[in-house]
Amino acid sequence: MNRESIEEILKNIGSEDVPAEVHKIAQEVSGDFSKTLTQSRQPEHIVLGDYIMKSRIAKLAVAAAIILVVLAGLPFLSHKESGVALADVLERVEQARAFMYKMKMTMTGSMLSGMPARKQEMQGAIIISREYGMKMEMDMTDPNTGKKMTQQMYVVPDQKIAVSVMPEMKKYMRMEFDDDLVTRMKKQNNDPREMIKQIMNCKYTDLGRSSIDGVEVEGFHTTDPAMLGGAGENIKYTLWVDAKSWLPVRAEMDFKMGEQMQASGVIYDYQWDIVVTASDFEPTIPEDYTPISSEAIKMPSMSEEAAIEGLKYFVELCGQYPKKLDMISLMQEFVAIQKNKEPMDTGLKSRSEKPDEMKLQERLKKTMEIMRPVQSLSMFYMTLVQDKKEPVYYGESVGPGDGDKVLLRWKVSEGEYRVIFGNLTTADVTAEKLAELEKLQPK
Amino acid sequence: MKCSKRVEIFEQVKARNEKFLLSVLWKLTGDRELFTEAMQYALLGMWQHVEKLNGKKAQSYIYRIALSANSKAWRNRVGRDGEIAPSQIRIEKDPSQKTSDSELVTIVRRAVSQLPTKQAKAIVMRYFQQQPYQTIAENLSCTEAGARSHVSKALATLKSKLVTLA
Repeated sequence: MNRESIEEILKNIGSEDVPAEVHKIAQEVSGDFSKTLTQSRQPEHIVLGDYIMKSRIAKLAVAAAIILVVLAGLPFLSHKESGVALADVLERVEQARAFMYKMKMTMTGSMLSGMPARKQEMQGAIIISREYGMKMEMDMTDPNTGKKMTQQMYVVPDQKIAVSVMPEMKKYMRMEFDDDLVTRMKKQNNDPREMIKQIMNCKYTDLGRSSIDGVEVEGFHTTDPAMLGGAGENIKYTLWVDAKSWLPVRAEMDFKMGEQMQASGVIYDYQWDIVVTASDFEPTIPEDYTPISSEAIKMPSMSEEAAIEGLKYFVELCGQYPKKLDMISLMQEFVAIQKNKEPMDTGLKSRSEKPDEMKLQERLKKTMEIMRPVQSLSMFYMTLVQDKKEPVYYGESVGPGDGDKVLLRWKVSEGEYRVIFGNLTTADVTAEKLAELEKLQPK
Repeated sequence: MKCSKRVEIFEQVKARNEKFLLSVLWKLTGDRELFTEAMQYALLGMWQHVEKLNGKKAQSYIYRIALSANSKAWRNRVGRDGEIAPSQIRIEKDPSQKTSDSELVTIVRRAVSQLPTKQAKAIVMRYFQQQPYQTIAENLSCTEAGARSHVSKALATLKSKLVTLA
C-alpha cells in the first residue's frame, strides 16, 4: 500500500460522521462516570476501582493488563515512569525479615441462622517473622455482656502447628495442619505478603496517588470475589502503598459474608523490619491453663478427596447437597438443617444446660469432628476460587440421585475441566464435552 | 485540592472536551466496544490528571489522554500473541484474497494506535481534524516544518506497519 492510499483512508476516516448511537454511548459513559464520582463517599479513593469494574469490557481489560504485568513484572497501567507496581511492593515486603501491623474488624448481622443479629468488633496486633512464624493477639468484646475476650494465636510453620491461648478462660488449644493451611491462615490474618499476591491475581485497578496522614500513597483496588477465595461477596478491597518506600501503609476491606453478615476492616500502623527473637513466637502457656482437648485438633484438609468426603458426609447427615459452598453459607445451611432434625449430642445443640468441664471438652471435640469434613469441602472450593480455576457448583439443582449431572466442575488447564458428578464420581472432560453436559443440567 | 473542588473542575473540563473526545475517539476506534472502552479510559485519564487540564497546555494533555486511551483500548483488544482474534475483526488470512475496504480501515486504525505519541497526534490533527500545520506545530511545540516532518514520519511508519498487519 502506498502513501497516497494511506492518506486517502485517513482522510476518509476524518470525514466520517459520528453515528447517533455513538453519541448516546458517549453520553451514557460520561454520565455513569460523573454519577460514580458524586455517589462515592470518598471519590478520590474508590471511584476509579468502582467505575472501571462496572464495565464488562473494562473488567476484561484490567484482567488482561494484570496478566501481562504479573508475567512481565512491569509497572501497572499508566504509571510506568513513577508508579508503584504490586510486584515491587511484594518484593519490598518480602525483604522485611519481621514486621507488625494492627487490624480492626467489625462484623454485623447474624453468624448462623436463628441466632440474633449482633455487632462484633475485634482488634488486634500481628507480628510476622519470616524465620519464626506468626503471633497474633486479638481482643473481642462480647456485645451482650461488654466483656472483653482475648485470644493469642501462635503459628509455628516449621512444626505445622498453631496454638491458641484464651487467658480469660485459662484455656489453650493446639491445632495441627498442613502447608496449604499455613498459607490460608496467613491470608485469613491478612498477612500483607499473601494479600499482595492475592490482589495481583485478581482484577484490580490502580487508583493513582493520594495522601494518608501526610504520606503520599498509591492505591490498588479490587472487587474481585477471588480476593477472599469466594468467602465473601460484594468485596471492596483497597491497598494503599507508600509511593516512596513501596511498602503497604493501609488496607481497607468491606464484604458480605453469607446471607446475613457484613464485615468491614482496616489494617494499619505497619512497622517494618522490627527486631524479633525466636522466643517471641514460642507459645506462652501459664501452668494453670488447661487444654481444650487432650489431643491436638487436626485441621481440615482441602484436597479433592476431602471435598468428596465432605459432600458424602453432608448427604448422609442432611439428605441433600449443600446449596452453596462458601464457608459461611455452607455452615449456616448445615446448622439450619441440623436444628430441624433430632438434636445431636454436639456443640450445636441447646446451650441451656451448663456443661461441666468434661462435657465441654467432649462437645468441642465432637463439634470439630462433625464440622471437619464440611469445612474441608468449603476450603477446597475456596482454593478453587482463589486459584482462579473457575469453579461452578450446581448444588441448588443437582441432587444425590442425579448421577450423570455435573455437581461441581473446575478448570484444570486450557480446554480441560475436572468434574464431580451427582453420584460423586469424577472425570476429566474437554471444554466441548463439558458444554454438552451442562446443556443437560436440570433447571 | 479538596475532592469536591476536584470534581467541579473535572466536570468543567469534561464539558469542554466531550465533543472533542467523542469525535476523535470514534475516528480512532470505529467500533462501538472499542470506543466505549477508550472513552472510559479517557475519562479516567482526565480525572487522574485533572489538575493539569486547566492550564495553558490543557489541549496538549487532552490529546495525550485521548491517544493513550485509544492505545490501551486497542492493546486490550489485541490478543497476547499480538493478533486480533478473527472473531473480533475479520482479517482474511489467505493472501490471495483481497482485503476488503472496511478491514483495511480497521487495520489502519490499529496501526495508528501503535504510533509514537507525537506522530499519532500529528495524524489525528492533520487528517481527522483537518488542522493546518501551524496549529499542529503549536500543539507539538515545534516549527511548522517540524510538524510536516512528524506527519511524514507517521505516514512512513504506518506504511511499514501495514505491510506486517495486512
